[in-house]
Amino acid sequence: MNRYRGSYLLVAALAALATIAAACGGTTNTPGTTSKGTVTVAGFNFPESSILANLYGQALAHDGYTVNYKLNLGTRKVIAPALQSGQIDLYPGYAASELEYYNNSAGEATADPAATTAKLNTYLAKINAIALTPSPAFDGNAYAVTKATAAKYNLTKLSDLTPIAGQLVFGAGPECPTYKFCLPGLMSVYGLHFKQTLTLDTDGPATRAAFKNGSIQVGLVFSSDADLNALGLVVLQDDMHMIAADNVVPVVRTTIATDEVKNVLNKVDAGLNTTDLVTMNAQVALLHQDADAVATAYLQKHNYFS
Amino acid sequence: MSLFQATLQWLTDPAHWQGIDGIPTRLGEHVHLSIESVAIGALIALPVGIVLGHYGRFGNLAINISNLGRAVPSFGILVIAFEVFGLGDLPIVIALTALAVPPMVTNSYVAMREVDPDIKDAARGMGYRELAQVLRVELPLAVPLIMAGVRTSAVQVVATATLAALVAGGGLGRYIVDGLARSDNPRTLAGALLVAALALSTELVLAGLQRVLVPRGIQLLKAPVIQRATTFKTA
Amino acid sequence: MPNRLFLDIVQPWIDWTWLSHHVGYVLAAVQEHVTLTLVALGGGLVIAVPLGILAHRRPRLRVLTLSAFGAFYTIPSIALFALLIPYTGLTGTTAEIPLIGYNVLILVRNILVGLDAVPPDVLDAADGMGYRALPRLVRIELPLALPAIFAGLRVATVSTIGIVTITAVIGLGGLGQLILRGLIETFYSPLVVATVLCIVIALLADVLLAGIQRLAVPWARPS
Repeated sequence: MNRYRGSYLLVAALAALATIAAACGGTTNTPGTTSKGTVTVAGFNFPESSILANLYGQALAHDGYTVNYKLNLGTRKVIAPALQSGQIDLYPGYAASELEYYNNSAGEATADPAATTAKLNTYLAKINAIALTPSPAFDGNAYAVTKATAAKYNLTKLSDLTPIAGQLVFGAGPECPTYKFCLPGLMSVYGLHFKQTLTLDTDGPATRAAFKNGSIQVGLVFSSDADLNALGLVVLQDDMHMIAADNVVPVVRTTIATDEVKNVLNKVDAGLNTTDLVTMNAQVALLHQDADAVATAYLQKHNYFS
Repeated sequence: MSLFQATLQWLTDPAHWQGIDGIPTRLGEHVHLSIESVAIGALIALPVGIVLGHYGRFGNLAINISNLGRAVPSFGILVIAFEVFGLGDLPIVIALTALAVPPMVTNSYVAMREVDPDIKDAARGMGYRELAQVLRVELPLAVPLIMAGVRTSAVQVVATATLAALVAGGGLGRYIVDGLARSDNPRTLAGALLVAALALSTELVLAGLQRVLVPRGIQLLKAPVIQRATTFKTA
Repeated sequence: MPNRLFLDIVQPWIDWTWLSHHVGYVLAAVQEHVTLTLVALGGGLVIAVPLGILAHRRPRLRVLTLSAFGAFYTIPSIALFALLIPYTGLTGTTAEIPLIGYNVLILVRNILVGLDAVPPDVLDAADGMGYRALPRLVRIELPLALPAIFAGLRVATVSTIGIVTITAVIGLGGLGQLILRGLIETFYSPLVVATVLCIVIALLADVLLAGIQRLAVPWARPS
């Protein structure tokens, strides 16, 4: 019995660990000889963003690029710095929300997607990024109440809330208090001063759970959510047009925004509409299909892979 | 302005000391969740560990249960509890209690086993009946190690309670999770420092409590032999 | 199969059909998880072993090391990930710095306990036999400290496997990504599968290390 055996084993374990760490610690993608380059696609932390990220990513992959994904990353406040520092190359944005983020809520977004995107690009140019052609597909903030609440106070539109907001509790995500199309907008455009605002999540399970157990009466959802009806929620109409053109638009770093990349992405965008978003959201949220599988099915159906 | 200066400014801003998102409120929520979880956990774990240790039964299970407990990912347990029970304190307390129980079971079992058999014999010889023997002779000797288990659990619960904010819970973790979502680093660092301070205070308070509970004679007689550093981290 | 209602959506805790179609997805997550864990452990050992040895001999370094890494240990991992993002980005480095830091504390503490526990008689005997400092360390002290080091390694391993799930919030996470997906989509299967696999992997790692310890240190039974 060798009394140094333990020590040898420890050293061997260390060496093995170091080797494995060196081998696996690097990036996992192997650049193929035919790859046109690497693109890192990011998505916000809700399923629709994962679907859109996959639509863009798979279209680019089909065109010969090596695509990495960083999905469920978080809010715009996490993704935008990552884009600026080059850790990600592309994310699926929403035109008006992007504009109001990069212009520090200056209030320049309008209901016109093209104009909004053009204005957005004046800001993106300063950080070496560009937004491409906005899609007809739209998904903006929406404010929902339960059917019971709507019946009780006779609510169909957001301005119906103005007289009774003080009796209601509002729930949204952590970015809501400082996000133009959320709490500040509700207060300035509709004069809504809720009894209380709860920090839950951005259109996620906590918000839905809060509706269910009555902790909130009004909550932030997204206009293309597919499960609202099934959950007994109804969206109040934005009658004073607080929400601007939140059309889907890819935000890309100029270093990878070659004409070819732009063509691929714009083609995906052009064929996408709001109904498509709702359908794909339903497949993920209600049928638990994978975002990437849903994206592949959509691209195949619309002959992007032919 | 450096991050530290900005954090200091955040902590000294009076606006952050009032209202539902103020430091007293969040601190209160955090302490409330932690105390509930450790207390309920102790109510479950200590009797089990003490009884098993006194009779010397199911030793393997009692010792290995803390291994099993350490192996449970706290993030996963919290989300599962949230899925079952929805919003509110209940799922968080249930998940944290589940995490708090194992180290207390193991430590109280080992503590009772470590009581010198000669002392137990002497007590039996002096006519102590079973329950009296446990309460008056064995437990006082076992308290140091039992308290060490409670301290480990408590500090770990305080740290893990920060994850409650990931499932829309309250507490100091709210500052960290919201800070991450808003890229508001002073808020995040302030939250982290508050949690660290709370964890250290918990350790100190419970150490002080131990000094109060353990009879002087026993403190002098025996310093617990720590086989290995039993602290572990789940968040 | 137990069904569960949440928001009136009925689904089983594990949908076996889903699992059978997603074996690759789950295995990829396991691979990322194991890689993150191994790097954290390796990094921890590489720093903790020399540091522990040095700190054993120098009381001031000992106090400094335990205080510094001890303070670091009390900071929740999720906060450290968030704070590191501006400096190291959404990368493995951001995940590994806190993980390695925590492991250094656990390992250094145990190395110190192990080295402290070497009986003074043994050291005297070694000195008497003519051992100089370094050979004495390598041939006498470290082998005797191995049980404590292994104990620390086991705690560090299980602890790391759990905390790696939290790196999901910066886009990594291994099995934590499945937990996050389960939360965001209210989808139980990835959530439960990931939680169970975490437990299984942690227990397997613990048993494996206990086995290696039994081979390496036969004179001391792992507790």
